[in-house]
Amino acid sequence: MLFVLSEEHKHLGFLSEVDPAVVGESGRIAVEFLKKGSNPKIYEGALNVWSGSVQHGLEGLMYLLTESCKLTISEEDFQDSVLVLGFSEELTELLLQLYLENRKEIRQILSKPAPSLPHYHSLEWRLDVQLSSRPLRHQLKPTVTLKLHLEDGARRSAHVLQTDPATLQHLIDELERALAELKSSHCRRILHNIQ
Amino acid sequence: MRFRFCGDLDCPDWVLAEMSTLARMSSVKMKLLCVQVIKDLLDEGIDYDKVSKLTSDAKFESGDIKASIAVLSFILSSAAKHDVDSDSLSSELQQLGLPKEHTTGLCKSYEDKHSALQEKLREISLRLGRLEAVNWRVDYTLSSSELKQVNEPTVQLKLQAQDPETDSTQTTVVSITADKFRVLLTELKQAQTMMNALQ
Repeated sequence: MLFVLSEEHKHLGFLSEVDPAVVGESGRIAVEFLKKGSNPKIYEGALNVWSGSVQHGLEGLMYLLTESCKLTISEEDFQDSVLVLGFSEELTELLLQLYLENRKEIRQILSKPAPSLPHYHSLEWRLDVQLSSRPLRHQLKPTVTLKLHLEDGARRSAHVLQTDPATLQHLIDELERALAELKSSHCRRILHNIQ
Repeated sequence: MRFRFCGDLDCPDWVLAEMSTLARMSSVKMKLLCVQVIKDLLDEGIDYDKVSKLTSDAKFESGDIKASIAVLSFILSSAAKHDVDSDSLSSELQQLGLPKEHTTGLCKSYEDKHSALQEKLREISLRLGRLEAVNWRVDYTLSSSELKQVNEPTVQLKLQAQDPETDSTQTTVVSITADKFRVLLTELKQAQTMMNALQ
């Protein structure tokens, strides 16, 4: 799978004009920016090139890395894609190394903003029996009260639910049926093909 | 194999695996560790310096220390939860492979603090919307814009309760006329009689 670099990506052209050490340094800075967000002060200090093209160049480098990691392209594909920019062998090699070393981390960073649902944190429960109420005495009504704690990133939420034992049993049966679905041949075939 | 202290279910694999870690400590040190773990379960605070001193002889790494505290916490709270007597606990732990001296030490600590543990577990059981405070005031209305002579007593009741979903305190203020208040009081007294009959 190749990704296409268009005219706009000529910003990376500045890389071919500088020495390999600067390229390595720019690569390191680009990865730092991907991890922590961009910091303009570093533009001035670290590289001895005029700052307009430095910013574009670094952004171009970050784009190159994120696109490659997004598609998890192989080495040859990466080299072929970068060929468009007409870099020297050495430069291509450096960029390739940069990509391979940081691939896993960048993929982890990219996986975070994906929309996610709140997930299970803990469950508290209680079994009660209602013996009498204002209108009616001498009852025997069992209820199960549940407090479901969910977590969504940093936010915790709690949901209070109440059910009678028959519904609870039905709930348990349905959930067990859902779990058993994982063991069906259809699911196993799909999981086997993915892994 | 079913164990009473696990609620008549199988013992979790990790508990079984950590028995050998516990056996690496001397039984005296393990009993002192039990005392620390019980203090933690009762919310009295655990002294981690003491714990590291106790485990340093057996050369526990931080992973081992965490594992031994976790397994002791589990055994003690689970046994208290299912109201297991210390003899059954002792025989079940020996079946899992914990040496006899360690088991005796653990069960002695368990027996000493058995009721305190159950009291604590009862306290932290799920309760929704606890009533935290009640304040009241009786007012006497003399007159109002509608009627010149009102002459009516009212009760102002302020209830502070915990919100079930957010656990924050919520205040409700109600004002009740004399008749309504009499009805409320009678009904609540009936409920109280019923509660006392159950105890």
